[in-house]
Amino acid sequence: MLQVIHFIDRFTTWVGRSFSWLILLMAFGMGYEVLSRYLFNAPTAWAYDMSYILYGTLFMVGGAYTLSRNAHVRGDFLYRLWKPRTQAKVELTLYVLFFFPGILALAFAGGKYASQSWGYMETSVFSPAGVPIFHFKTMLVVGAVLMLIQGVAQVCRCLVCIRSGEWPADVHDVTELEDQLLESGGQDYVKNPLDIGSATGGKDQ
Amino acid sequence: MSDPQIGILMLGIFILFIFLGFPIAFTLMALGIAFGYFAYFDAGRMWRGYERLVEQGAEGWQVWQAYIDGFFNNRIFDLFVNQTYSVMANEVLTAVPLFLFMGYIVERSNIVERLFSTLYIAARRVPGAMAVAALITCTLFATATGIVGAVVTLMGLLALPAMLNARYDKSFASGVICAGGTLGILIPPSIMLIVYAAASGTSIVRLYAGALFPGLLLAGLYITYIVVRSILQPSAAPKPTDDEVGDVPLSKLIWMIITSFVPLAVLILAVLGSILFGLATPTEAASAGALGGLALSAIYRALTWDKLRDSVYLTLKTTAMVCWLFVGSWTFSSVFSYLGGEHLITEFVVGLNLNTITFLILAQLIIFLLGWPLEWSEIIIIFVPIFLPLLEIFGVDPLFFGILVALNLQTSFLTPPMAMSAYYLKGIAPPSVQLIQIFKGCMPFLIFVVIAMVALYVFPQIVFWLPNTIYG
Repeated sequence: MLQVIHFIDRFTTWVGRSFSWLILLMAFGMGYEVLSRYLFNAPTAWAYDMSYILYGTLFMVGGAYTLSRNAHVRGDFLYRLWKPRTQAKVELTLYVLFFFPGILALAFAGGKYASQSWGYMETSVFSPAGVPIFHFKTMLVVGAVLMLIQGVAQVCRCLVCIRSGEWPADVHDVTELEDQLLESGGQDYVKNPLDIGSATGGKDQ
Repeated sequence: MSDPQIGILMLGIFILFIFLGFPIAFTLMALGIAFGYFAYFDAGRMWRGYERLVEQGAEGWQVWQAYIDGFFNNRIFDLFVNQTYSVMANEVLTAVPLFLFMGYIVERSNIVERLFSTLYIAARRVPGAMAVAALITCTLFATATGIVGAVVTLMGLLALPAMLNARYDKSFASGVICAGGTLGILIPPSIMLIVYAAASGTSIVRLYAGALFPGLLLAGLYITYIVVRSILQPSAAPKPTDDEVGDVPLSKLIWMIITSFVPLAVLILAVLGSILFGLATPTEAASAGALGGLALSAIYRALTWDKLRDSVYLTLKTTAMVCWLFVGSWTFSSVFSYLGGEHLITEFVVGLNLNTITFLILAQLIIFLLGWPLEWSEIIIIFVPIFLPLLEIFGVDPLFFGILVALNLQTSFLTPPMAMSAYYLKGIAPPSVQLIQIFKGCMPFLIFVVIAMVALYVFPQIVFWLPNTIYG
């Protein structure tokens, strides 16, 4: 069971992280558009389409990775008071009742939607450049399938927890800066907090 | 049971299910599909293919398949996919990952400590200098990053020990940091306003223009409070002795300002200015801001591989969280309004015989209460759309409402039980600082949030002057 969880986690994490670098492409691409428009007076025909294609792909594909790290927002003010076993039972029920039907609907209906788009090799209507968007619509299916795979791992997590009474340990992952600081007490970030702000302090002197 | 009543039932069930702690995006999605399946149920249309086969006298497997296909022939599935795709191709939300990325890069660029010490030295003759410097640092930094948690913890590490060392009152010092760090969600370019724009269909550019003066007003009120309190109650913010102040030559001070304050201010102004004056779309400005943040980080020699990688991954996670919430919410709310639930709520509220002011007070009170158990993303994406049809009836501009909500949500970071800012500060503060002292320190700032909201109601020009002047 744990092996299944780790295998799926590794897979969706790898996919999600690989796609996350699209943000750099997005930043540089749009930056190029602004530069090109004002410096060379030559706006590109593809920048707008590129922006939403990259953004949409980013979050669709990243959904499963986010799920594996428990980063989808919950209203957890009661939830966190419960025993892990209760949490797991409720969660398992809702995965079966809510998550899988919803995501399956997305996968199948999205598949129909994308295949229509493939049928006539749909291109974007926003610019004469004719940026193809049929592959972008396919991301609906890709995102949903990744979610389904991750859903299996989440169900395994619940099962492990119901059996043992404890949530399986998470794999280490990047954390928000505030969490890093809280964990380390800030030792690695600020060497001598008390120095700073005293009159002659300031690090660069 | 009529359709609108079922719509209300759907909303009620959803609110109950929030308590179960399941990721809200999927709860919304599932309830939207389930109730939508019912709402769009049309046996004639769904089994048309099957009926035709039966009429033709076909038999066997083919007929069975057509019968089963009928179950999946419900229009809700098309609606669901269309709503999902409209989140994917939304022109406003494209700015979200870029602004997040900019924020994650800037918060890791080691700029806070320079900024704080520079501002302190610059303001050292002002009463409560250290608190003023802390507040301005928080404000600037939170504006550039648009994220609340990091700035509060960073300042908790830097400014709080410094202020305690200078014998500042514990409550006062921690209140300054919490309140200042929370300003980032109000002052543009802020991510929360983008999300509000996408959720309400308001123009993001006008929203940014409208939020600028209210944000500065609130920051101004905070600073005035700090200075006045430091004069009236010197024990809360003792004057440093001449020995402690030391002597920094002017040329050196100017150099410090150029190397710390100016780059960050230029980055913010460039991003905001290019949006406000229509030189770039918010998405383009955000990408320029992200590149600027990278450059800034590189100049401060803070751009390491680890920090870049962390920022990239965190951007993905936060974007996915926000946007999947949109997928769920848009599916849910379109079914909700198709059933006529919105209409029923509107009728109910109209029946209460409210006028504009009582409606606004009631709406803001509800949002304030929602801020206790929920986070801003859930409030804006799920609950604000419910208020939107009501705004028209009471003649409230959605732009104005959005600014009030942004002001209001300041309080949800500062009041228990879900005061994120206070918890972050408690997590990093010296053990002698108690949570209750932090809350006590936040209270005066809450009063100023309310004062600012009243001021906006009395003088709506604070919001409307800039957008109306620029865009007519």
